[in-house]
Amino acid sequence: MQESHVYDMIVVGGGPGGYTAALYAARAGLETLVLEKLSAGGQMALTEEIDNYPGFEEGIDGFTLAQKMQRQAERFGAKSEYAEVESMDLTAFPKRLQTSEGDFFARTVVLATGANPRELGLADEAALTGRGVAYCAACDGMRYKGKTAVVVGGGNSAAADAMLLCRVAKKVILVHRRDTLRATKVYHAPLMQAENIEFCWNCIVTELLHEDKLSGVRLRNTITGEETTVPCDGVFISVGRKPATELVKGQLELDSSGYVVADETTRTNLPGVFAVGDVRTKPLRQVVTAVADGAAAVHMAEEFLAGGN
Amino acid sequence: MAVIDINKEQFEQMIKGDKPVLVDFWAPWCGYCRRIGPAYEKIAETYGDRIVTAKVNIDEEAQLAEAEKVEVIPTLILYRNGAAVDSVVNPESKAAIDQFVRAALDK
Repeated sequence: MQESHVYDMIVVGGGPGGYTAALYAARAGLETLVLEKLSAGGQMALTEEIDNYPGFEEGIDGFTLAQKMQRQAERFGAKSEYAEVESMDLTAFPKRLQTSEGDFFARTVVLATGANPRELGLADEAALTGRGVAYCAACDGMRYKGKTAVVVGGGNSAAADAMLLCRVAKKVILVHRRDTLRATKVYHAPLMQAENIEFCWNCIVTELLHEDKLSGVRLRNTITGEETTVPCDGVFISVGRKPATELVKGQLELDSSGYVVADETTRTNLPGVFAVGDVRTKPLRQVVTAVADGAAAVHMAEEFLAGGN
Repeated sequence: MAVIDINKEQFEQMIKGDKPVLVDFWAPWCGYCRRIGPAYEKIAETYGDRIVTAKVNIDEEAQLAEAEKVEVIPTLILYRNGAAVDSVVNPESKAAIDQFVRAALDK
């Protein structure tokens, strides 16, 4: 494709929202390109079983569902490129995206970059990822069979991680900075009844102890100030997500948590730029709500393009 | 060229060959490994004339994984003249794999 080629739509991110936008756009006859840095699916690709996406009564694994969505969009002519976007100029005409595979141009851009697990921000956290530090119990839990694992966090995903791990690990220690779980009630009783779960309330992790691999964590009680060392083989960090909006900071309006401000029309503050899925402000972040956004974005993009843009 | 599945014997022969060998140590239960699969196929296409692109299932080749000190997967290692040149753990993008391969080939 020569450098000056202008797509009708470029979708940034190949998760469920992104590939649904690509499907609708391609079916509407728009020339569409999806830029994905690694593989289709986004966060969903690491989800072993999805039981709440309608139409798959036996459940389906996220990676397979993602590949199906990709192939479905491609069947109608959408293209995919494994490219990492390095910068975007969303106010230019055409809009310009600089990537690891060269520059791409489009009349409309659908931002479907999703969200990633939030880090604790501790020294050596990145280096220890995969060497004892993990962000997904469903992905990495099996490695801690018969071992001791710490879970950090108090929300639904921390509670789900602790439940999953207590069936595999010898012992699970849940570390939470408050004195009670924020997770919904359904988790409370099973967690309290599990014999191999201990709780460290009002505690934060201050240090990851390690040589080659993680050997323990250092905790501080936020009320008493007391410091303790907890030996463990793994620590699962489950303290929420952060939207992938670094590249659009300064161009798109973001809320205080970094999500792109957009309502259910998916329109952002910039004409011809739409935000779908986990990256936009919304009450429920699920595969079904992401795919709905993808369809809405294309509807709005067609309107925008019909206006002579 | 496509990615080829290899065992310990094939590995030992291959890394002594003329072409550098890129090996993806993986396992079927590893979600992160699955995720790099499609990009790894692209890498095999792109660099097919310069390197051999292979995969080792560490569940089937536990001895080999241990000998190569693979503790975390996916791990990609580039071998030349029978020795490991460099490695990368869980690359986050196809661009990151590209960069790793180019840098390792220059070493």
